[in-house]
Amino acid sequence: MLIENPLSTSPIAFPVLECFHIAGFALAIGMSTLVDLRLLGIGLNKQSPSQIARAFEWWTLGGLVVAIFSGLLLFSTDPDMYFLNWSFLIKMVCLVLAVTFHYTIRRRAVFRGVSRQAGGFVACASIALWISIIFGGIFIAVVRPGLS
Amino acid sequence: MLVSLLIWLENLAPFSSLRSSGYAYPIVLALHVSAISLFGALIVATDLRLLGWAFVDGPISDLITQLRWPKRLGFLAAATFGFLLFACKAEEYYYNPFFRAKILLFLLIAIHAGAFRRSIYSAPAMLDHSLKPPVRAKLAGSLSLFLWLAVLCAGRGIGYIMGRPGMHYK
Repeated sequence: MLIENPLSTSPIAFPVLECFHIAGFALAIGMSTLVDLRLLGIGLNKQSPSQIARAFEWWTLGGLVVAIFSGLLLFSTDPDMYFLNWSFLIKMVCLVLAVTFHYTIRRRAVFRGVSRQAGGFVACASIALWISIIFGGIFIAVVRPGLS
Repeated sequence: MLVSLLIWLENLAPFSSLRSSGYAYPIVLALHVSAISLFGALIVATDLRLLGWAFVDGPISDLITQLRWPKRLGFLAAATFGFLLFACKAEEYYYNPFFRAKILLFLLIAIHAGAFRRSIYSAPAMLDHSLKPPVRAKLAGSLSLFLWLAVLCAGRGIGYIMGRPGMHYK
């Protein structure tokens, strides 16, 4: 017997989940970007990059968890559409890259300290990855077959 | 009167072409969301400090002063892209209940800013007597978090209201 996804039977489930999704990724991406900008020497100059990163660490992770969990639920409403959507696939590749980069190379750069140039390079790569995730998400609805 | 002004706005050449463009419109939308992420983090950072939930090892005034201009610029960026999105469909947005709710929430945010201006935002040094924030700082921070979250939800809601027939797009 086929079981209907309860999220697909309620008209408000999807938009409500989207609000959680947006709030979660805005928190995570925004806070990550504030640390990246600090690595570039922009803003919060009285704190070191590692001080800012430490203050944001758990909030960033919390936002990321909320965004990923709500994202999985959004995905579950129409998995084959998402799976065939090239914008979604690019978004997922960028997400894996961004999260891996965030907790490996970037973490080292922020907490152990690197040269100014290396720090700037890491910051730019991090910002570019997170921004492409936002663009990938928006363009899911644009490249979706049937919608213009 | 207002509606005819909005019809004039949405039919100006740049907004008219943005509305019918295939990719420019979603690009502006993605830039709006990107600016929201940055601005949102600045708001949350300030509010968390006012609540005493982050950056508690430094004085409140330090963070408020440092983030004042970044927040203004972040808001300007998000609002600029937001205005472009609105101007393309100004007439339709006028009838959109979520857009109306969002405008109302912005009014409440302006009232919030005015109400806490003297006691918090323009004189944060008064909050530095202890590292623990006073009640009025916690109130300002939690109200701000609530209002901006409501703005985010109202903003997402706008896209769920179907456009009305009979819009005066040229």
